[in-house]
Amino acid sequence: MITKFKVDNVDYSIDIDQNTPLLWVLRETLNLTNTKFGCGVGECGACTVLMDNKSIRACTTPISMIINKEITTIANENDKDLKKLQNAWIEEDVSQCGYCQPGQIINALGLIKQTPLPSDEQIIFSMNGNICRCGTYNKIKTAIKIASKS
Amino acid sequence: MQESRRNFIKTSTLATSAFILALHLPVKSKAQEPSSKLKPLEPNAFIKINSDNTITFLMGQAEMGQGTYTTLAMCIAEELDVNWEEINIEAADLAKIHFHAWVPLMLTGASSSISTKHEILRKTGAALNIMLKTAAANRWKVRQFNVETKESKVINKKTKETFTYGDLINDLSLITVPKDPKIKEFSQCTIIGQPVKRHSKEAWAKVKGEAEFGIDVRVPNMKYAAIIHPSVFGAKVKSFDAKKALKKDGVLIVKEIPSGIAVIAEQWWIAKEAISDVSVIWNEGDFKNISTEDLNKEYEKLSKLDGSIMRKDGDSNKAFKDADKIIEAEYNFPFLAHAPMEPLNCVVHDQKDKAEIYSGGQIQSVYRDVCAQVLGIKAENVKYTNTFLGGGFGRRAAANVDYVLDAAHTAKGEAWPVMTLWSREDDIKMGNYRPMYKNKAKLALDKNGIITAFEATVVGQNIVKNTPFAFLEKDGVDWAQWEGLSNHPYSIANHNLQAHSPESPIPVLWWRSVGYTQSAPMVEGLIEIAAKEAGIDPIEYRKNILSDKRHINLLEEVARLANWKNRKKEKNVGYGVSFVPSFGSIIAQIAKVRVIENDYKVEKVWCSVDCGFAFNPLNVENQMISGINFGLAATKHSEITIKNGAAVQSNFYDYKVARISDVPDIEVSIINSGAAIGGIGEPGTPPIFAAVANALLDATGKRYTTFPIKLG
Repeated sequence: MITKFKVDNVDYSIDIDQNTPLLWVLRETLNLTNTKFGCGVGECGACTVLMDNKSIRACTTPISMIINKEITTIANENDKDLKKLQNAWIEEDVSQCGYCQPGQIINALGLIKQTPLPSDEQIIFSMNGNICRCGTYNKIKTAIKIASKS
Repeated sequence: MQESRRNFIKTSTLATSAFILALHLPVKSKAQEPSSKLKPLEPNAFIKINSDNTITFLMGQAEMGQGTYTTLAMCIAEELDVNWEEINIEAADLAKIHFHAWVPLMLTGASSSISTKHEILRKTGAALNIMLKTAAANRWKVRQFNVETKESKVINKKTKETFTYGDLINDLSLITVPKDPKIKEFSQCTIIGQPVKRHSKEAWAKVKGEAEFGIDVRVPNMKYAAIIHPSVFGAKVKSFDAKKALKKDGVLIVKEIPSGIAVIAEQWWIAKEAISDVSVIWNEGDFKNISTEDLNKEYEKLSKLDGSIMRKDGDSNKAFKDADKIIEAEYNFPFLAHAPMEPLNCVVHDQKDKAEIYSGGQIQSVYRDVCAQVLGIKAENVKYTNTFLGGGFGRRAAANVDYVLDAAHTAKGEAWPVMTLWSREDDIKMGNYRPMYKNKAKLALDKNGIITAFEATVVGQNIVKNTPFAFLEKDGVDWAQWEGLSNHPYSIANHNLQAHSPESPIPVLWWRSVGYTQSAPMVEGLIEIAAKEAGIDPIEYRKNILSDKRHINLLEEVARLANWKNRKKEKNVGYGVSFVPSFGSIIAQIAKVRVIENDYKVEKVWCSVDCGFAFNPLNVENQMISGINFGLAATKHSEITIKNGAAVQSNFYDYKVARISDVPDIEVSIINSGAAIGGIGEPGTPPIFAAVANALLDATGKRYTTFPIKLG
């Protein structure tokens, strides 16, 4: 079945099994590898993207739920809030292995789009689904605060 | 000679316009021998300069988050004098010049990258800097002291004319490489010793999702494989039926490999989905009846028998007879998965007489050699490309080469390059765990509370037996059983330390900080209990039994950092100390823990580190935070248990790790003592286990010796 959706302002129209999770459509059908695979069950947040400005886990979202939706990924070059977060991530020297960071940053983007000035508690509550095995959480907290205030 | 040299220069300019310096000081000390056979872009190098002044540092060490690319690049940059923002840092190809100083392998482990590589890289940078100045001085026909370098350029001090380094590359092969170039003292350095952020090209690639990890490799016509592994450890395929799976769109091949069944498909998702359409009958063997309780019983039995001696000195029997007080404790540590965020993967392209491999590995040469063996191809005909590693923690230095073997067997004989990608469930359930340990320990105290004897028996699987790292085993004792224990830092007169190595089909492996994950929680837990029994402040107690001034200084530093003497005592709040020398560095930590009903929150950790000299203090701080949070996951949450011969846990919903709500506020201080350079990737982890247990002892009066620590 032909499915139409938008990723980072680009229109796509593909013929695909409707059960295929968005993550694998991005990574393998479209070769957009910026969004990462971590657990496959929505437990780690590495695959987080925005669907119409809200965080979702791409690994558990079948493509059938994406029809005519707008997806924002870490590769988006036009989102000003995303750029703010990325700048803050660089400023705070957050990334270590860096693998989870696209998901962390996009999840933070979803947060500040809903809550432009999040409190510590709101940051912890909304970022708790994103795992970082390098343990960069301390700096993630600071970076989100910096970005939200800039 | 002169003729061939000219020819080389000509060829070199036309073909590549690049110069590569491949120093291997002090053994060999010259630039690439010009010869007509030489490939223009030899991989065995540290620095590559192109005529357009693109400068690339080539790294034999793997970047898995620990910051080694940036800090090693700082070493070259300090001496070579480059425009820091513009340099490229890339993974080097396999070459002997990148072998580890301790073993003839490409290996990133034991927190040893800076300590083993800084000197050669600084000298290489210094040598090239001199050669560039010589080349420019020759062109301008001035003496060398009339030229200087600045940010990838050579400047004529009088005329202010400049050459870029790239302008001079063709002159370099005519210049003798300095034999032993002088490198700067730390006090003269302007980059080394400064807090330098991760190189911006790497940092930006990572925040945009553009950094290439193994899982992101895309080779033309590549297919994807998912593997069906048995649940029961050691089980083998008896038979399988793939008819149904093969009818599915996109499924290409289903075949048996030594570890299970490989499903190759056009996309990984298709392969993964097709798994449920393959029926497999397994030969499960006797281990299917085994559970954690059985292992506990077996370990308990072993712990009462005489084991292999790790350390025996003095007369501990007599010391225990004469003791005023005896402290006994049993420490239990579960199997632990590393669970790096990037699931394990490897691309293999079997091209009959040659092959290509792509992965993110900590032991690149071992992976290459094992693949070559499986494919029946000479190792030198197998090209291995290392990518960024989405976390390592030891898992990507798989001594049994498990996921790489899967990839090699899967791609063997196939027409396409194949990426074999393990699911998270494969990662959690397939072993290569930090071993489970059951340790029994006893301290004898005299009437002043001084420790007179230490006896301990460590029971845990041997990590290195039957692997390429078997040289780490001696007299039946695995390195991971004694490190941090036999060489603990305290003055104790009598020891009897023994080890047992039970065997099981569960593969075990080093896990960030290796043996210290079992030895440090025990030693530091016991010391704190002894201090409490003696009624002496735990920091003063440690200082009394330490002899190295550097150790004592560090404990005083962490006490200062935490304002120890004036710590705020509250109900349900405890403070715990821990001090662990590991990987050439020494770390002291103090944890503040609050008990909340049947749970606890680690609110704050103060951490002081002396790694001799901090090449990049910002990265040292980052690694301390990382090491603490990694250890905290295992202190509080993580464990693999066994039921019916299989791991009970399978993904992050039951294999719990630290999340943002778990992590404490962390404050780090660094002492540059001038001691030999130590590591920083692992040493932050060992002290946190006991720091938390000791804080809970302070808060509740109870000893917590079973990990992960659960209250109530």
